[in-house]
Amino acid sequence: MFELIDVTKVYKGQKRAVDGLSLRLGTGVVGLLGPNGAGKSSLMRIAATVTRPTSGRVLFDGTDVVAKPDVLRRQLGYLPQDFGVYPNLTAREFLSYLAAVKGLSARSARARVDELLALVNLTEAAKRPLGGYSGGMLRRVGIAQTLLADPRVLIVDEPTAGLDPQERVRFRNLLSELAADRLVLLSTHIVSDVESVASDIAIVANGRLLRRGTPEQLLRGVDGHVWETVVGPDAIATTQSRYLVSRMVHTPRGVRVRLLSPAAPGPDATRVTPDLEDAYLAAVGATAEVGR
Amino acid sequence: MTPRLLSALAVADFRERVRRPAYAVVLLAAVGLGYLAAPATNAHWTIVNTGAYRGTYDSAYIGTVTALAGALWLSAGGFYVVRTAIARDERSGVGQLLAATPLRTSGYLVGKYLSNLLVLGSMAAVLAGTAVVMQLARGESRAIDPVALLLPFAVFTLPVLALTAAAAVLFETIPVLRTGFGNVVWFFVSLATMIAGQSAGAPLGGLGVHVFAKSMRDDLAAHGITVTEISLGLMYLDVPPRAIEWSGVDLAAGFVGERLLVLLVATVAAAVPAIWFGRFDPARAGVSVREAERSTPAAIAAAVPPMAYPRLQTAPRRGAAFARLLAGELRILTQGVSWWWWLGAAALVVAGAAAPARAAGPLLIAAWVWPVLIWSRLGAQAREHGVEALLDACSSPLRRTLAQWLAGVVLTALVGAGPGLRMALDGDLPGWLAGVAFIPALALALGVLSRTHRLFQALYPPLWYAVVNDIAGLDFMGALAGGPSPALVATAAMLLLATALTTVALRRFSV
Repeated sequence: MFELIDVTKVYKGQKRAVDGLSLRLGTGVVGLLGPNGAGKSSLMRIAATVTRPTSGRVLFDGTDVVAKPDVLRRQLGYLPQDFGVYPNLTAREFLSYLAAVKGLSARSARARVDELLALVNLTEAAKRPLGGYSGGMLRRVGIAQTLLADPRVLIVDEPTAGLDPQERVRFRNLLSELAADRLVLLSTHIVSDVESVASDIAIVANGRLLRRGTPEQLLRGVDGHVWETVVGPDAIATTQSRYLVSRMVHTPRGVRVRLLSPAAPGPDATRVTPDLEDAYLAAVGATAEVGR
Repeated sequence: MTPRLLSALAVADFRERVRRPAYAVVLLAAVGLGYLAAPATNAHWTIVNTGAYRGTYDSAYIGTVTALAGALWLSAGGFYVVRTAIARDERSGVGQLLAATPLRTSGYLVGKYLSNLLVLGSMAAVLAGTAVVMQLARGESRAIDPVALLLPFAVFTLPVLALTAAAAVLFETIPVLRTGFGNVVWFFVSLATMIAGQSAGAPLGGLGVHVFAKSMRDDLAAHGITVTEISLGLMYLDVPPRAIEWSGVDLAAGFVGERLLVLLVATVAAAVPAIWFGRFDPARAGVSVREAERSTPAAIAAAVPPMAYPRLQTAPRRGAAFARLLAGELRILTQGVSWWWWLGAAALVVAGAAAPARAAGPLLIAAWVWPVLIWSRLGAQAREHGVEALLDACSSPLRRTLAQWLAGVVLTALVGAGPGLRMALDGDLPGWLAGVAFIPALALALGVLSRTHRLFQALYPPLWYAVVNDIAGLDFMGALAGGPSPALVATAAMLLLATALTTVALRRFSV
């Protein structure tokens, strides 16, 4: 249904944001995971027809949407990482305007806007100017606008930024439901955002695809390579220089370190069950920034 | 407020500005001004009118006239280039970072003033470079005298640019002037400065024209020629001026002292707003406490339940949406417009409809300056509010651009409805209709091209002022007798609209 073929994006100044990346996507939630600056947002903008790739093709139902973007735009809901609103318009006015931009008929637009305001629980605030909304509320408006045209493809870039933990969980559940019959491409650097909803995860760094698979496949890749051991505070720097350390917890006995190593890092180390963060760290290497 | 701190602030801000593509356009404009200041020997225009004569194109003459042109035009236009230094810090959040440092408010404002002066000074430097090229290109004197060429920039241009840099800081710290209204006010301020600054009695030497005029008169008198009026601007001459040897300006110590005093006044003027500048504290933005408490994001969020995500029932259907799109664009165009603006617009409509037929033209001119700040939003709003990020993934950008223009047409027609009715009764409607199409097309094209509302705010007032001054050739409203034909104005409107549409289409294919 949706295919990125050998996509490259080189910005002015020769910065290669996306480097020959290919992805074939069907229905379900696809989590695009990578550190900050990995090229995720560039890839999302290319997928959403906002940015043209320097080379490569983007196909939707077999149509090259780089050449014919409107074929995808009619079926697309896009939530960029950063977006603004008209501050003096109310949420209802703003969504109604975007419904008209997307070409929805008057009757269905009215009903759809009301339903979406209820969906994101902004009915109470629908008559207030957007200029007074908090960051989380504006994010909800952004989420609502992606669903205006009941899109077959949802592209959401760092969608949970600004949402509180409760709303994050609800939003992930919504994405899971929506993904039953459509493609949801979700980009984030927060591993917990994708591990609970994505049936398919692509890990990218430096504009390249590093790993691709189901959560189980990614976990299998690091099975037997994840260890926990306790070290003294003065040994932390040495441990970090020798191994990929995924987390550290200070305990009365010393610092409990969780790390990746093909062999046991010491006689007291115990092998533990890997989680997705371990798999992610193994893929992106020691320089990755792991968000939680 | 150490020199190191001030220079760090000014240079960082200067770097940020000059690395934007728009800066290249600004420098290009300076080159254009340098070209205008030294026209070809057979040209009919001049920037410094000294009757039928001019100085030989040597370093002294070219340096002086180019510096005077810089003092006049770089201050008038340069203001619009530098007037967003503080607003940009507010928008980017850098202001809040700086506000939390020990940096004194006066130091911050003087730093912004110096940064403004650096930008304007760099334009003057390009102008001076162009003057060298023009002297060589015109070929009347190939001997470059750096002192004679550059000194006029130091005494004529720099002090005036310093005042402009300070005015930009001052405007940004006064709530009513930091809006687009300030841009319109500056047009009239610079107009008054252009006129008053040329008189011999202007405070602190004004633009310095009288010093040049005195020296020119003395030299002409030595040739037995008497010239009554010497002025600065952009003028057409029936006969190209004849070249005479000119000895250059005699800079008296008193005049140089006055120019130094101008620099001091400008620096102090830039620091004075520290008394009232809010240092990026939203609580000092002039909103009443009650309103502020009621409308804070926290207060609204507290009244809003968390997300629920019930199931969606309605299947959206595609259909005719252009009328709603137009209504949406009209709503966006007029968002946040205060009741007193609408009251003023209603008064203009009523006055236009009730006034005698001969007053229709003047009333139309009055009506069609009233929405200048609203028109200036056309083509620039989506970018300025960050909505472009959402709209770029939607289809039919051209349909949306067309709807924007039509929203502008509706507003223009509405505000000019009173005089328009009068003109219709007199069978003089085509000119009015062409104006209704032209103004929003101009605003849209400038907004789309520049991606800011400032260009229209800077260019429309002079165009409007030309009509006020009965320059029929520029009458785009159909308000004056003997103006261009409505068909010509309508054609210009369509070309501007086509420019806007083409730019939008090209931009979609170039990102």
